[in-house]
Amino acid sequence: MSRSPSRTSLAVVGTATALALLTACGGSGDDSATGTDGKPVSITFWGWAKGSKEVVDAFNASHKNIKVVYEEIPSGNAGGYAKISNAVKAGNAPDLVSIEYPQLPEYVSQGALQDIGQYFTEDIRKKLLPQAVELTTLGGKNWAVPFDASPQSFYYRKDLFEKYGVEVPKTWDEFRKAAEKIKKADKKARIGTFFPDDPTTFQAMAWQAGAQWYKPEGDTWKVSTADAATNKVADYWQGLLDDDLIRANASFSPEWTNSLKNGGTVGYLGAAWGAGVLKGTLPEQSGKWAVAPMPSWDGKPASGMLGGSTFAVTKTSKKAKAAVEFATWMSTTEEGIKARIESGTSSAFPAAAALRPVAKKSFDAGFYGGEDIYQVFEGAATSIGPNWNWGPTTGTTNTTMKDQFGKVASGGTTIKDAVKAGHDATVAELKKRGLKVEDAG
Amino acid sequence: MKRARTTRAAAILLGPFFVLFTLVMVLPIGYAVWLSLFTEKQSGLGFGGTETVFSGLDNYTAALGDRAFREGFGVLLGYCLFYIPLLLVGALALALLLDSTLARARRFFQLALFLPHAVPGIIAALIWVYLYTPQLSPVVSAMESGGIGFDFFSPDGALPSIVNIALWEWLGYNMVIFYAALQAIDRSVLEAATVDGAGAWRTALSIKVPLIRSSLVMVALFTVIGSLQLFTEPLILNKGTGSAVSSTWTPNMYAYTAAFERNDYGLAAAASILLALTAALLSFVVTRFTGRKGKKA
Repeated sequence: MSRSPSRTSLAVVGTATALALLTACGGSGDDSATGTDGKPVSITFWGWAKGSKEVVDAFNASHKNIKVVYEEIPSGNAGGYAKISNAVKAGNAPDLVSIEYPQLPEYVSQGALQDIGQYFTEDIRKKLLPQAVELTTLGGKNWAVPFDASPQSFYYRKDLFEKYGVEVPKTWDEFRKAAEKIKKADKKARIGTFFPDDPTTFQAMAWQAGAQWYKPEGDTWKVSTADAATNKVADYWQGLLDDDLIRANASFSPEWTNSLKNGGTVGYLGAAWGAGVLKGTLPEQSGKWAVAPMPSWDGKPASGMLGGSTFAVTKTSKKAKAAVEFATWMSTTEEGIKARIESGTSSAFPAAAALRPVAKKSFDAGFYGGEDIYQVFEGAATSIGPNWNWGPTTGTTNTTMKDQFGKVASGGTTIKDAVKAGHDATVAELKKRGLKVEDAG
Repeated sequence: MKRARTTRAAAILLGPFFVLFTLVMVLPIGYAVWLSLFTEKQSGLGFGGTETVFSGLDNYTAALGDRAFREGFGVLLGYCLFYIPLLLVGALALALLLDSTLARARRFFQLALFLPHAVPGIIAALIWVYLYTPQLSPVVSAMESGGIGFDFFSPDGALPSIVNIALWEWLGYNMVIFYAALQAIDRSVLEAATVDGAGAWRTALSIKVPLIRSSLVMVALFTVIGSLQLFTEPLILNKGTGSAVSSTWTPNMYAYTAAFERNDYGLAAAASILLALTAALLSFVVTRFTGRKGKKA
């Protein structure tokens, strides 16, 4: 919004300038990658998950052969992913990066990561949730060490549900009835929120309903983002919005937080990691919250995954062995899990089944009135739909859906049309990259 | 002899400019043009890495063929038609008020009106987002209790929301330009008008405004060109809220999203070049236009 023509042109080529400079800075040479000569190998790790700093400190305190330098970056969608992409393009990326399951294929397809199958061996893999390992195995190669599983879960204000005489819903039909009842009891209260800025919550709902958006068949991507299951979910949420039974606020926005604080929103449809977020955001409501499994379509337990972190080694790193050793330590050792959860802000649900008791013991569940929240996550994790894949164009799919979701609340479009727009953009992008696509609607 | 010395002095004085100009303008533009001619292709399911292939003008046709990119220019046009008249009339009215004999505490108002311009655009946008957000904003709740329901984040509300932020930022700045031009008017002309019996209104509209016409034209045209790079404010509305401002709302945002959300650097470069060409064309028109006006005046 500046005005002089010369500054205009400068800003226009701003992207190019940044790229040119980044390229010029690239190509940092690195020292030995073995660490056997007594000098520790130093690796750099970029992440944003809660408790990461504490984990790194614990690792450095107990390891002499590897030294980890942790740099906190903004969370993926808030700019972290752009930062990682640019660093990889510029050749000065860290050794290890946090990437969530949905974005992993995009990074693999951009050639930003390296195959870690050599170090991430079968005996480590079998300790982890099979669905999580499946999502990090692409084209027959292993690209990342899964850290947590993120089964969906429903958080609700136990005190207010009791006050309004509302049963915890087990099915989506009951959820709608509960939403009506809550609104009737207090015309300013709503059961939950539709996040127009965050298509991933919707995607988890579609996954839960049995949708299968991206299917690799031979060397062809079968894309069916607008299948029957997805449309059912879209219509359901559209109905809740149309009847004003649910809020439309940006996720984790001040607006959302504020409505949780004043009892205007009495539930949150999230995932396992959300328990720590709520606890950190609303300390004054300690003891008033509880966790339940996600309502399902037929009353039987069902779940998708919402987010969830993996650790991947960048293409340019010459210290893959050390990086994988550290990643494995974070994901599959008691010390690693304990250090993270004891930081107090993380409620991560480890992909390593054997370590869930450790996580449970380390998490102070006072906020949930001492409820065994890990028991709830455990049940949800076993019900995660096994047939879901993420495609290599998550960036395009999600950006398009987010743009359209922004118009849903004010009636500019419908959720169904927004999802269809995401579908069309995905198919077009895959074709543009020269990949084979089957457009299955 | 004298001529040679002049040439050398010119070279020394202009040298730093050209070195910087080459480094931060010519080279990056060249690199962007280069980038825009390539695209990354993959094979199989896409997990075998990428191959950079020469694609000629494909990225340009892709950008021009993308409705989102073209709509971005439509948004800019709407923005200019809405914003520029408001800005000109508002800034001019304030400048005339300050310049009139009625004004009290001139320095205070000059400073107070200019202050918003000192706030960086990104901070301004964040503050306004807060003021636009239902349930948080005192402004929105005041409007609601007054019976006015307006959704600043809706498809229809987004443009006025951005225009309002821009006005807040730029009104005082342009007012200062007009005020300076008004101060430069020869006082004897104004005295003559008073002697001839012209009142304050008449003096303002028939004497002052025509005399600062070149400033008006300059501000209008520079604002048009400045509007081309509309980016920060809508980006904040896109990122921090569930608003109808899409990630490709303006052409600049389109290029940003292509590069940093979709990893398509070729497309981003092509979109940037197209925008730069538009800016260059407009700059040319402005220079010609204002140059001629200057001579006439």
